Amino acid sequence: MKWMTTCKETTELASRAMDEPLPFVDRVALKLHLAVCKNCMRFAQQLHEMRQQFRGETVVDDDTPGLAQEARQRIAHKLQDKLDS
Amino acid sequence: MDTLDAQTWLEEHGDYLFRVARRQLHSDELAEDAVQETLLAALTAQTRYSGDASPRTWLTGILKHKIVDQIRRSMREVEIPRDHEGMEAVDSLFKQNGHWADPVRPWGNPHSEAELSQLRRTLDLCADRLKPTMAQVFSLREVGGMETEEICKELGITPTNCWVLLHRARLFMRHCMELNGFSKVGAA
Repeated sequence: MKWMTTCKETTELASRAMDEPLPFVDRVALKLHLAVCKNCMRFAQQLHEMRQQFRGETVVDDDTPGLAQEARQRIAHKLQDKLDS
Repeated sequence: MDTLDAQTWLEEHGDYLFRVARRQLHSDELAEDAVQETLLAALTAQTRYSGDASPRTWLTGILKHKIVDQIRRSMREVEIPRDHEGMEAVDSLFKQNGHWADPVRPWGNPHSEAELSQLRRTLDLCADRLKPTMAQVFSLREVGGMETEEICKELGITPTNCWVLLHRARLFMRHCMELNGFSKVGAA
C-alpha cells in the first residue's frame, strides 16, 4: 500500500463516505489526507454543504414562481372529482 | 374534518408545495403532478391526520414520498449509461499525478438571505445541467435521502456503478459551482 492517497482517490473516498461507512483502512487514509490537504478538505466540506442545502426544508424562496393558475385549477378539479365520487 | 379542507390546502399551501417540489424535481410539470398527487393522497388519508403537526408539515411529509416516486418514474425512461461515460470531464479536474488541476476554493459562508438564495439558485442551476442518469441518482440520494442500496435495486445497477455515478455527479456539481462564481477568488 502506498503511504498516501492522491487527491483524486481522496475525492472518491470522501464521496463514498457520504453514502456508507468506510472500511477502517479507507477511513484512516481519508483522515490523513484531509488533515494535510486544503483542497480536498474543502471538497469534503462542500459535499456536506450541498447535501444540507438540498435536503433542508426551509430552503424555499418565496420569490420563485408558485403554482401556475392553470395547474391550480386542474388540481382543484381533480380534488372536486374525488370528493364527488 | 370537513371535506372542504383539500381545497383550502391547495389555496394555502399550493405555492409552497410547488416550490419545494420544483426545487427538487427541476421541472414545472413534474412538480405540479407531485402537488396534485400529494393533495389527492392527503384527501384519502385525512382521517389519519392527527392535528399534531401543522397541515403544512403534514402535507410536506406526504410530498416527500411523491417526489421520490416522481424521480423513480422519470428514471425508468432513461438509459443507464456505460461505465465510462462522462469520465473525461472528471479526469480533466485532476493532473496525471492525481493532484487537483486547479485549487479548490471555498464557497464562503453565506451571510445574508440574498447570498444564501444565490447559493441555492446556483446549486439548482448546476443540478439541472447534470446528465439525466446522474441527475436522477444524485436527486434520489441527495434530495430524496434514499439509501444507495435502494437506488441500485431500483435502477438495476451494481453498487459500484451507482457509487461511481454519484461521485461523478458530485465532482461535476462542485466544478459547476466554481464556474458559476461560487468561489472566493484569492482566498486560497
